[in-house]
Amino acid sequence: MSRTGSLATRWLGVGLTTCLSITTITLWITGRMSLYINPDSAWFAVGMSIVALIGAVASFALPLGAEADHGHDHEHGHATAAAGARREAFAHADHAHRDPLDEHDHAAHDHLAARPRLTPGGIAAFTGGVLASGAVIAVLLTPAASLSTGLAVSRDVGAPPLFAGSDVVTLAASGDTSKFGIGDWSAVFAHATNPETFDGKPVTLTGFITPGGDGATFDLTRLVITHCVIDAQTARLPIAASVDAPSTGQWVTVTGTVRSSGDGKLEVRADQVASIDEPADPYEY
Amino acid sequence: MATSSRTAPPTGRRSAPSRSGAPRSGASRTLVALGVGVVVVTALFLVDAYAPTFFAQPLPTRAQDGLTLALSVLIESLPFVILGVLLSIIVQVWVPPGAIERWMPRAPWARRAVLSLLGMFIPVCECGNVPFARGLLMRGFGVSDTLTFLVAAPIVNPIVIISTHAAFGFSDGILVARLIGGYLVANLIGWLYSRHPDPDKLLTERFLETCEIVVQERGDRGRRTLAQFVVELRSVMPALIIGSLLAGAVQVLVPRSALLAIGSDPALSIAAMMVLAIVVSLCSNVDAFFALSFASTFTPGSIVAFLVVGPIIDLKMMALLRTTFTTRVLAGMTVVVVLFAFALGTVVNLLV
Repeated sequence: MSRTGSLATRWLGVGLTTCLSITTITLWITGRMSLYINPDSAWFAVGMSIVALIGAVASFALPLGAEADHGHDHEHGHATAAAGARREAFAHADHAHRDPLDEHDHAAHDHLAARPRLTPGGIAAFTGGVLASGAVIAVLLTPAASLSTGLAVSRDVGAPPLFAGSDVVTLAASGDTSKFGIGDWSAVFAHATNPETFDGKPVTLTGFITPGGDGATFDLTRLVITHCVIDAQTARLPIAASVDAPSTGQWVTVTGTVRSSGDGKLEVRADQVASIDEPADPYEY
Repeated sequence: MATSSRTAPPTGRRSAPSRSGAPRSGASRTLVALGVGVVVVTALFLVDAYAPTFFAQPLPTRAQDGLTLALSVLIESLPFVILGVLLSIIVQVWVPPGAIERWMPRAPWARRAVLSLLGMFIPVCECGNVPFARGLLMRGFGVSDTLTFLVAAPIVNPIVIISTHAAFGFSDGILVARLIGGYLVANLIGWLYSRHPDPDKLLTERFLETCEIVVQERGDRGRRTLAQFVVELRSVMPALIIGSLLAGAVQVLVPRSALLAIGSDPALSIAAMMVLAIVVSLCSNVDAFFALSFASTFTPGSIVAFLVVGPIIDLKMMALLRTTFTTRVLAGMTVVVVLFAFALGTVVNLLV
């Protein structure tokens, strides 16, 4: 295999892995892991990234091109059968291991070395490699970012989220709602069988503004995440406020009380709506 | 991986006499190489820490959202891929020949039935399964046997059972239908492909070449461990990244409401949820919680179809599988899984 080919192999495998591992570890060190995945599983991501970095450093000790090398030392004398032959043997459930033949097939190696670049497959592989490299380099060079509020709105499907099953509603009925976020409350608002229980509960909630439906001044919205950002779901609460609604997408902290509006529906009556900058942890987990 | 860094210096020392004759130069060359590795890694850390200050807000919102989504999938699946590569190194390099094979039943259907339960003991979710399955293939496992494992493991798997139970309990038979459905479709696919006259034709040429090289690899285990590490990451990483980019792009470009307008129609809802499963490319460990939010508007059968299709054939998984299996196999698998999930969803809808 040519030197360029070997270098490409290293970059597309170990190189890309190293860049992503470094991104993961840096996010963890700077405390921004929650922008991408649930911090509860950070230990696994960071642990495996460290393993990958150790492997990457160790791989520098493997001479370039050695991974496609047969290791031309025959002194071990114990040749292994080709994978195809072994598969065949296994498929026939012949568990007595016949002595493998020394089919030292150089053809495969030569073929790999002389791989023509200008076939459709070769071009596709090259394009794929460039795309993947471009994405990883972009990740390395650009700052961490949260999802735009516009995406949160377009993701809203009208179905109330029910993140941890009906547990939330049961828990809420038993009293302690001080730790509830927008996701928990929106599940309660949608699924509570006896809304009067929650009438008068004080709340302080942070989210961003989206246009409100029937009667509400605005909706307080936040993305709720179970595991990583791609499973983000939009949770929203109707807010009744005496002030005018700030512009859509503005982050606010709302202080107020939960009120039952009589027809079995719940809403938050806001005492105070304070505009804030986007918080460092824009998602609820 | 600690083992490999420990065994790496002897590699250099052993091969040194044939090259230079001085035993020490091989060892010091290895040390220099490791030093270069440390320097490169440190440099990349510095780039990651300081480069973003020069590129504040360079991307348009949509592209940035797509990249954010893709990166979150990557960060989430990378540890599983690395775990899968480690497992594949273990089965390929460290487990002696015959040690696993001895425990397998001889009848093909029984062997597939056992392999589809292997996920209970090796709970890597779907992205980690691909490198692990490649390790099994390199060891000499049959193509149809490996396919059975690949399809079953992400569903019949303790973490997935726990998370699905946490999300749905036993309501509407969703958990039971998911497990039995995953087990059956895996054995169905295994049986179908076991009838293929020439199983090696199911694998990509590139993978077969890798097999030849890896199998003939001699030298000590430390060296082979490193070689396998390099080769497996090279095959899996570009596919994983492109799959994640696709998943991110589709999420940004296709409005979700377009899919969900068809909510509660028994047949259309199943089709919609299957398309959603393929598009969102969620990890099978968490897709139950995602599906839960649709439970109030969608039929139980469509939820089951979502939970069966998603772990087997989503965008990210197809890119990963393409490293090893031909496009024809992927198309065949997709057709079988989609038809099966549709039938399963319909049965659930009729019974519940």
